[in-house]
Amino acid sequence: MQYFLTQLVNGVIFGGVYALIALGYTLIYGVLQFLNLAHGEVYMMGAFFGFFTMTTLGGPSMSVLPVPLMILLMFVVAMGGSALLGIGIERFAYRPLRRSSRLAPLISALGVSLFLQSAALLLFSSRVRLYDSNLFLSVKSGITVFGVHIDTAEIMVVVGAVLLMVILWFLVNRTNLGRAMRAVAVDQDAAVMNGIDVDRTVVWTFGIASALAGAAGVMSGLLMYPVDQYIGVFAGLKGFTAAVLGGIGSIPGAMLGGFLLGITEAMVTAYLNPTYSDFLAFFILVIVLLVRPRGLLGRPALVKV
Amino acid sequence: MKKHVALGVSSLAALALMATGCAGSSSSSTSTEAAADTASASAPASAAPECAGTIAVMAPLTGGAASIGQEQLNFAKLAVDDFNMANGSMYKIFESDTQLDAGQASTQATAIASDNTIIGVVGPAGSQEVSAVGPTFKDAGIGYVSASATNPDLTNGSNPGFFRVVPTDAVQGPTDADYIATTMGAKNVVVIEEKTDYGKGIAMSVSDALTAAGVKVTSIPVAESKKSYDDVIAKVADDTDVVFVTFQVAAKSQQVAQGLVKAGKKAVVFGSDGSFSADFKTPGAYVSAFAPDINGIPAAATVAKAFTDKYGKFGTFGPPVYVATQAVMQAAQRACTTAGASADRAGVLKELPNTNIAGSILGGDIKFDAKGDVDGAKFYIFKIDDAGTAVTVQ
Amino acid sequence: MSEQDQAGRGIGTDEWVAQHEDRVGAPQTGMARVAQQWTRLPGLVRWGIPLVIFLSVPFIGSSDYILRIGINLGLFVLLALGLNLVVGYSGLLDLGFVAFYGFGAYAYAMLSSEQFGVHLNSIVALLLVIGTTASFGFILGLPSRRLTGDYLAIATLFFGQMFAVFVVSSDEFQFPGMSDPVDLTGGANGITQVDQISVFGFTFETNLSYYLLLVVLVVFFTVATKRIHFSRHGLAWRSLGEDTVAAQHMTIPTVRLKLLAFTIGAGVAGLAGAIFASVQQGVYPSEFMLPLLITIYAALILGGLGSIPGILLGAFIMVVLPEVLRFPDYSNGIFLAVLIIAVIATVKSWKVLLWAFGGMIVIGFLVNGILLALQVPYLAAKEWITGPLAPVLGSWVFMPENRVLYGNIAFVALVGLAAWMSIMRRRTRIIVLPLALWLAIWTWEVRLLLEPSVTRQLLIGALLIVLMASRPQGLLGKPRVEVL
Repeated sequence: MQYFLTQLVNGVIFGGVYALIALGYTLIYGVLQFLNLAHGEVYMMGAFFGFFTMTTLGGPSMSVLPVPLMILLMFVVAMGGSALLGIGIERFAYRPLRRSSRLAPLISALGVSLFLQSAALLLFSSRVRLYDSNLFLSVKSGITVFGVHIDTAEIMVVVGAVLLMVILWFLVNRTNLGRAMRAVAVDQDAAVMNGIDVDRTVVWTFGIASALAGAAGVMSGLLMYPVDQYIGVFAGLKGFTAAVLGGIGSIPGAMLGGFLLGITEAMVTAYLNPTYSDFLAFFILVIVLLVRPRGLLGRPALVKV
Repeated sequence: MKKHVALGVSSLAALALMATGCAGSSSSSTSTEAAADTASASAPASAAPECAGTIAVMAPLTGGAASIGQEQLNFAKLAVDDFNMANGSMYKIFESDTQLDAGQASTQATAIASDNTIIGVVGPAGSQEVSAVGPTFKDAGIGYVSASATNPDLTNGSNPGFFRVVPTDAVQGPTDADYIATTMGAKNVVVIEEKTDYGKGIAMSVSDALTAAGVKVTSIPVAESKKSYDDVIAKVADDTDVVFVTFQVAAKSQQVAQGLVKAGKKAVVFGSDGSFSADFKTPGAYVSAFAPDINGIPAAATVAKAFTDKYGKFGTFGPPVYVATQAVMQAAQRACTTAGASADRAGVLKELPNTNIAGSILGGDIKFDAKGDVDGAKFYIFKIDDAGTAVTVQ
Repeated sequence: MSEQDQAGRGIGTDEWVAQHEDRVGAPQTGMARVAQQWTRLPGLVRWGIPLVIFLSVPFIGSSDYILRIGINLGLFVLLALGLNLVVGYSGLLDLGFVAFYGFGAYAYAMLSSEQFGVHLNSIVALLLVIGTTASFGFILGLPSRRLTGDYLAIATLFFGQMFAVFVVSSDEFQFPGMSDPVDLTGGANGITQVDQISVFGFTFETNLSYYLLLVVLVVFFTVATKRIHFSRHGLAWRSLGEDTVAAQHMTIPTVRLKLLAFTIGAGVAGLAGAIFASVQQGVYPSEFMLPLLITIYAALILGGLGSIPGILLGAFIMVVLPEVLRFPDYSNGIFLAVLIIAVIATVKSWKVLLWAFGGMIVIGFLVNGILLALQVPYLAAKEWITGPLAPVLGSWVFMPENRVLYGNIAFVALVGLAAWMSIMRRRTRIIVLPLALWLAIWTWEVRLLLEPSVTRQLLIGALLIVLMASRPQGLLGKPRVEVL
């Protein structure tokens, strides 16, 4: 039982990071019906931005600021930088393609992916970076729940992910910006006719989604995942899987999908062969899609005739 | 009319620029950023012919393993610079990015084979790739020296012209297993096998040796794409003495070690040579390497410092490339001196078996045996002290 | 970079009307004139010329490398044609296509190597491989009955991923009921020493033989695709791709057609896979993953979906260009040539051209002077460049000693400037042009040439972005018009 709980908690923590990435995917898809395949690379850049903020501030071992402040600053810089990056990508790579076929922006996104990976390789050199967060966030600190120890970094990840989701939910459902996003999601042309500035709405969408990815990057760094230029590839894939599992276009769905995916991965490792954890996660996704094509919490897609 | 004139003039300008571009390409090969003026003045006074040649470096320069490949390339560049400065030769590097993909390696092999200015190859980095390029290099009669392909089967005769400067998994496994079973007295060992070319080989070798020594071995295979290991760590039984990790990226070993600390397990982490890097620094952990402490070898210390000053920290896959490049250049130099003119690839291939790098930076002399493996291969065991530095224990 | 939407053509127009000017109007630029003359040539000549060129390649350059690139290109074209059937015609987004390629390669390897000690006759092996891969395609197509659009894409993506993971992990596959695990796929090491294809006593051993084989196959499948294009099935597939619901209402058996598309596409990929295994004499898991899939899609969309010459052009760009960019000399020349030609092609007046290039030259010397005066440590010309024009270039391009640091700053500045320029007004753009040109060449020489392997990827990524932004329908595709 103890073992089961430990693995469950592990899964939830994995899920926190996946959920954040999934939120970004789902937000952009929900508003624009566009799969931003470069989203993983924004996550990667966020992780790097956080790392460089940390080292500039003297971290990980000799920070000039108190640790909570340093971490806060890492998040702020990473989220801000990622948001700007995302907005830039949208502006220059995707906006010219808004009216064209649905495949063209995908190729552009792939080009952006490749470009970001190579630019990061050029600018940051190929060494693998580690946040060494154990030096400023002791792994012994934290709480123990039902005999399972959860350290500070892990608490931060889960709490942060849920908090950001709640904020996002409020944004989308209770603010004017959110209303504009929902309008653009339903019908871009009708939104224009209702006086909504589509361009501005899209910019905000990308900015927020990318900021979430940046946050996920810092969080994974704090969890001591290694940081290199290619972490975005698999993280993007996982986040994308989670978004689809939960129903792409649905914010609670992305959250649910993320946590479910994390838990599945942990459970497969726990009771079966760990190498098949990805395999089985995908397999489950496909089964779910066959039974519920719109994902767990997705709305049925109406195809206009 | 004006437009046509402008077009004509501009096209000529374009062609001129292209011509200069092709003729005077900035070096992707050796970049002599150090003050080369003094060096050229103090070139050896002997009347040796000016030996030159291009050496191809096959490594994953981009792609998921870029951290390994770039380090290897930089060590190769350093080796060429040092050698050229010491011998007045003019060897150059041709970069061949394989992304650790056998298909790309196979295509690149034909490119290298077709280019007659390339007289030797350093690499490929992965055992898969060596198998893939084997047929092409065999037909081309070119010698290739790898610094990281450790699958023992590669030197069973199917790849003539293949040499390697690092010992195979068949040496590392028993050495590590022996230390774990005997010196550390472990009874329960978990082997985390990463499903890569490298990981598979060493995992199998260690597991077999440990089982033969009567140790209980549990194997946990993980995919290369796995990012977090807390779930794997939870699988490690509480009475496990040693967790043997087979990662190529030392940061992952660090992750596992910290995870074990976090989970409060008593198991100690023992890393294969892939973990030998400043990134793996959990006190109390062990790691094996095919060379003694590089800072203890005077020749190595100079090279290490030169590398760190220019490129930063390095791990385990870089230094052997320095030696491999030296081997190729020395072979070319010997052929050149004998023949009185720059060596060709046949000359290099002929001289490679006679390689003898005395006092190499890997500690000890580097010589090849009849199969192409490095002679007198030995693995050293290190323990990481409280400051995070690896200290030799065997 | 233009930002006109296609919808700006006017409300109420459809594609036929919108393309009226292209059909009837006189070609404006030289390029369009050439294109028009080209389309006036008889079909046989238009296809014959490239064929002759490709057939003569082995005799012009006897380099094995060129033949190998040709083989890679041929295999790639086969894959692209197969995928075109699924995506280009039927509009089914299959993101697991590369798994068929891998499946074909592995199946062939398992039947013709020491893995299981089976060495089947090549023809039998090939038929088996094509058959099984096609069935696999059929199975993968079954979900397409329930899933549409993006969801089908996702399901197929994960089938592809499952295949990749399965192949790497199956060196110890436990069949239920058997005592020991079986080494199915060689795991991370792959399967080596695969037999080469041998037909009627003739063994395909040399690159030349494979090259010619692939030329024949490519011609065959291209002709087949063209014939399908206008056949009953082709029209049905294309209407399926345009609008599935409408096609259903026209009593087109959509399910059967989708399955057929998947099956045939998979079969072609399986054949290509088997040939690949034979060429390389081995199969390794790393070769059948996402990057290859992405490249095939890029080729299809770059060339223009559904357009056969487009597919060939796209394949050519995605296979040959990255290889050429590996060589610093060529990439240098290409970069400079593309830069200059791009400027000449887009700038209309010769005064602006003069301003652009003249200004660029002036800025170069200016910056050189300023940095020298500021005593920034630098490298003399002879240390980084050779050739007759070295002294001139050496004083025009200031080569700082710390190339990496300055180069990085310049790179970031360049990307920012390029992006900003795309949204500037024409006047501002013209004013900034010389600075941009100088910065581009400076960054190239100082930083990008230092790492050709990374620069190569950078250029390919930039190319995809720029090409898609300027021509979303692909190079030879037809512009889509929004019907309101």
